[in-house]
Amino acid sequence: MRPQQDPEPGSTADGEVIFDINGASVAYDDKVALRDVSLKVFKNEVTAFIGPSGCGKSTFIRCFNRMNDEIHGAEVTGDIRFHGEDLYAPAVDPIDVRRRIGMVFQKPNPFPKSVYDNIAFGPRIQGMKRGLDERVERALHQASLWDEVHDRLDSNALGLSGGQQQRLCIARCLAVDPEVILLDEPCSALDPISTSAIEDLIVDLKRDYTIVIVTHNMQQAARIADRTAFFSVETGSNGQRNGVLVEYDNTSTIFTTPSDPRTEGYVTGRFG
Amino acid sequence: MRTEFQTELDRLEALLQEEADLVARSLRNTLDALKVQDSRLADEVIASDDEVDDHFLQVDASIETLLARQAPVATDLRLVLSMLHINLHLERMADQCVNIAKMLKSLQPGGLPEELIDEFEPMGARAEQMVRVAMDSFAARDLDRAESLVDLDNLIDDCNRAMVKRVMGIGGDEGQRHAGLMAVLMSRCIERIGDNAVDIGEQTAFLVSGSFREFQDASHPNGGE
Repeated sequence: MRPQQDPEPGSTADGEVIFDINGASVAYDDKVALRDVSLKVFKNEVTAFIGPSGCGKSTFIRCFNRMNDEIHGAEVTGDIRFHGEDLYAPAVDPIDVRRRIGMVFQKPNPFPKSVYDNIAFGPRIQGMKRGLDERVERALHQASLWDEVHDRLDSNALGLSGGQQQRLCIARCLAVDPEVILLDEPCSALDPISTSAIEDLIVDLKRDYTIVIVTHNMQQAARIADRTAFFSVETGSNGQRNGVLVEYDNTSTIFTTPSDPRTEGYVTGRFG
Repeated sequence: MRTEFQTELDRLEALLQEEADLVARSLRNTLDALKVQDSRLADEVIASDDEVDDHFLQVDASIETLLARQAPVATDLRLVLSMLHINLHLERMADQCVNIAKMLKSLQPGGLPEELIDEFEPMGARAEQMVRVAMDSFAARDLDRAESLVDLDNLIDDCNRAMVKRVMGIGGDEGQRHAGLMAVLMSRCIERIGDNAVDIGEQTAFLVSGSFREFQDASHPNGGE
């Protein structure tokens, strides 16, 4: 017979709250893309956002480091707190926010510069010029890239493979000592081997950082995330289609016994 | 969506029900062989086990492929896991039939006293009923019906105890004592078939509810006291 399970299989004890979000909505030119989302992100965990295209998961992750500020017509409402402080308070400097909360995008986007200069770019801008060589080396080690590039730090970063370029972008993000790393579909342009390397890296990095990842690959969320949030699209009373948070729980619960039939339908591939 | 996956799940479940039909047939033949002490029918029971084993292996291999290729989750995953367990329980039921058939063959023709043969009838009928209830409740995802297997199993346990008591009263020569011992062992095999049916019911409960629990805990019959 199967051994008795714990009362809550795969349960994740709640740690320190890094992000506390209540009633967040995002509209683009008065069109609501994401409606009334509330959740907490915990320290040193990997939190994954999954859901069909257009459900607002990328819109949501951009709220975490005020990247939506850069999008014309975007309006973020609700209460978004980072370490208990209002991330959108007038006194908050969005540039400092983005140093503390780094981001890596779907397509690797190294600068057309050397490997070294890519990593050193952020620290130089931040005035972190002392010990720059050590900082660059440390970031490349953390991103599991040092062994592959240590003898070509002066080569153009665009000569690296796609997987290496993405790890370079993660190293570039780490070089300015962030607390949180946001990853918006970081593996969607990569082959399975490079994807596996990034996944190993994410699990490794969560010891020192808090990680939030948007992924289209459900199995990726199942493999690496501690908690998973499922977003979906609903048509509101005004006929507009909005993204909504359907369910947020331990990843094992989402993939074994989800409580909402919409989540069940999506993770089993029946609809969504 | 996932039409091929759903088709494969349906095919596997049908194959499992087919395996259960073979087990039910084997059990019926075993009980008939017992009733008339027919060695030829006992041979048929032993030979037909290959068919059950073929089904077992087919289901087992198909589940391995399904897990590797389709990566089922949530209810799909529970269905696949429960089928994996039920497959094993069915195969064990058929093995118990083979055990009984072999023991029957070890006895002299007419070596089993009439009074013991009579004890097997209600017990065997209950075991047949349990196999049917176990597989029907699984097919219907019927938790209440699956839980009713516990009461049926209690009846089989009573029959098994009655058999032991009856055999204890047998005196006589070595042949009679041997027949008595065989009767107890065969009775135990039927009792185990009942236990396997309860195990299948537990898999139905796991599939429906999402959490595994034993209907009966032999090591803590009074809830852990």
